[in-house]
Amino acid sequence: MSSKAFVRNSLVLLSCVLAAGTARAGKGTDPVTGEAPPDDPVADEAPAPLPPAKPGAGAAPPAAATKSEPEAEPEGAAAPQQHQVGPKLFDEALQDYFQGRPKEAAPKLFAFTESVSPTDENYAWAQFFLARSLVDLGLRHAGAVYLARIARERSNPAVLPKALDELRGLADLPHDEEMIDNQVFGSLDLGFLPEETAGFAHYQQGLVDLKVGNERWANTHFAKLTEGSAEASRARFALLVTRLKTTKRDLPKEMIDEFLELSKDPKLTQDSRNESMLAVARLRYEQKDFNGALEAYASVKLPMLDPGRAALYLEEAWTRYQLGQIHAAMGILTTLDAPSFRDEFLPDKYILRSFIYRDLCHYLPAKRAAKELTRRFAESLEAIHEREDLAQDVRLRRAAISHGATKRAEKFLESLDLEGERLGRYAGSFGDRLFAYLTKLYDLAHAESARIFQVRLRESVRVEADKLLRAAEQVRLMEYEVGLKLYERVKKGAKLVSEIKEDQLTPTQVRYHFVNEYWNDELRNYRFSLKSRCIEETGR
Amino acid sequence: MRKALLGLMLVVPTLAVAQSEELENPGTVAAVQERAFRMNHELVLGLGALPLDAFYKGYYGHLAYAFHFSDSFAWQVIRGAYTYNVNTGLRDQLERDFGVVPTAFEEVQYFVGTDIMWSPLYGKSAVLNSSVLFSETYLLLGGSVFKLTNHFRPAVNLGLGVRLFQSKYLSFRLEGTNDFVISDKPFNIITLQLEAAVNFGATE
Repeated sequence: MSSKAFVRNSLVLLSCVLAAGTARAGKGTDPVTGEAPPDDPVADEAPAPLPPAKPGAGAAPPAAATKSEPEAEPEGAAAPQQHQVGPKLFDEALQDYFQGRPKEAAPKLFAFTESVSPTDENYAWAQFFLARSLVDLGLRHAGAVYLARIARERSNPAVLPKALDELRGLADLPHDEEMIDNQVFGSLDLGFLPEETAGFAHYQQGLVDLKVGNERWANTHFAKLTEGSAEASRARFALLVTRLKTTKRDLPKEMIDEFLELSKDPKLTQDSRNESMLAVARLRYEQKDFNGALEAYASVKLPMLDPGRAALYLEEAWTRYQLGQIHAAMGILTTLDAPSFRDEFLPDKYILRSFIYRDLCHYLPAKRAAKELTRRFAESLEAIHEREDLAQDVRLRRAAISHGATKRAEKFLESLDLEGERLGRYAGSFGDRLFAYLTKLYDLAHAESARIFQVRLRESVRVEADKLLRAAEQVRLMEYEVGLKLYERVKKGAKLVSEIKEDQLTPTQVRYHFVNEYWNDELRNYRFSLKSRCIEETGR
Repeated sequence: MRKALLGLMLVVPTLAVAQSEELENPGTVAAVQERAFRMNHELVLGLGALPLDAFYKGYYGHLAYAFHFSDSFAWQVIRGAYTYNVNTGLRDQLERDFGVVPTAFEEVQYFVGTDIMWSPLYGKSAVLNSSVLFSETYLLLGGSVFKLTNHFRPAVNLGLGVRLFQSKYLSFRLEGTNDFVISDKPFNIITLQLEAAVNFGATE
């Protein structure tokens, strides 16, 4: 028997014993750990303040309004309603849960929470196991709602840290940010929490303060984080990013060093370390330290055969262009034509390609490259000019939901759709009341998250449209410039400028000729070769 | 004359298309990468078979050492194998029914040799679109000495092999060779072998 199974079986046994003990002694017990109440000083004391009555507890289930009506019970024709509600039902539900039958456990736990008073000692535990059952069944949002309710009601201090831990785990996936990040962790009383959970809550509350522009308050929270913890590193990252956003000019050099330090911090996730390294690269670029920027771009670590990030490539291409490495820059632009990046919204790509052709005095390709932008985004540009609903434009919409808060909102909306469909599968086994309650819960959550998504989408789409308009303006300038160059007179005796030296192949290198087939392992290694046609006066 | 004109008319548009492509996307692109695997001192352990002799099948253990001068040129300084032979039914029948003496059959007992390795092909393959497998193909040219049942015989060895790189230190070789045995009645000995090669001292 595995240790996990052993613990689970022990817990079931203990919970049964403790439930029996509870009936005798009337003391609160911990069905998860099976700890005897005297070991828990908090549990020894009077229970945490309880809400006056369940229906008044904010997000009380709609079905709760009818729970006291005896005639309503038979209408829930499913099995759970046939059980006599009481400690026995709770024990049965726990047994189901620990024997790996969350589908059977959930309706029983729901019936229990609907029928007993919130002051019941097992009420919070029932909510907790109901939440876990729902999460196990793939209904994460519904589980999160119950966990958030435990956090808000705080009817049992022993359950609260466990509920918060579960919520922390759920917060790593698409989730209701308002409910979990703001209403639970953002407004939690932190005095009584275990260190790790408190650390996470302090971090979240600091983030909330940072978002509203109160760095001093954020620092108060961040100062309470354990030095060397993952949250402390993430807090430093958040602080630096906020400072970066607010500091418009004269970026202090220490900021680069701090980001550099964070990019090597093993306590941060690889994504956050990469973000830090990207920040280093961007700051160095701003300070015209292009070689330093290149070094930082090269230090961004990607998983094996990962195509990478389009924005990173484009930034690297601009950096190489600034360094005069126009062949290398063009090589990177080839990368951005790969199918992996076909849906990326990168108007700058066309402008840069056009610059490179222009610098090599290939004017017609330069003009064509620039025009490619207006051709490719013709529909979007027309939608902008016609003042249509930009959120309906496929390219702008895709660009808007590819990053940031809009992406998170979209992911959460998608997960709600998925879970809503999944809920339909449990219509039979959940019984009418739980199913009706969850259906309503998902409908409400969906409506609200759709509203939030639309708000964010409108804002993001406007930003992307601005970006596109600026690029289109650049195209017009480029066309004008190239037109002038095309008809420029060549002086008699003018010579071609000396070639820009291309790197020779070293003995340790291999060269694979590119034939329009993209290999992920080559995306960072393309080299472009084209002779300059510039004459001396106009050469770069 | 008409045919020539017709041919010209067919060829010219093709050239024009090629020129137009060059005008639209001038320049060439190549992926330039550091060679992922480089060999230096190579120790080889393998198993092989002598599959073509009608009177016996030989199975052998094989050991070799090779030194790589560059990515495409190496000297397999020494290789040697000791064979375990299994008689075929034909031989048993000849010995049993026709009284042929066992020593009449020349069997390979062991052999040693040395080769030059030339690896002109180095490349990679996409494995189910989820990983990349690096490999090289090489040719062998060298000499061998075979200890046969009754004699020692020199031979000229020609071979073709494929190496699949597993890591910087480990690769697998699959090769087939043909030894032209020099004797009064020259004959061929064909070998097939699968080998694990351990690489030492590579700089990359």
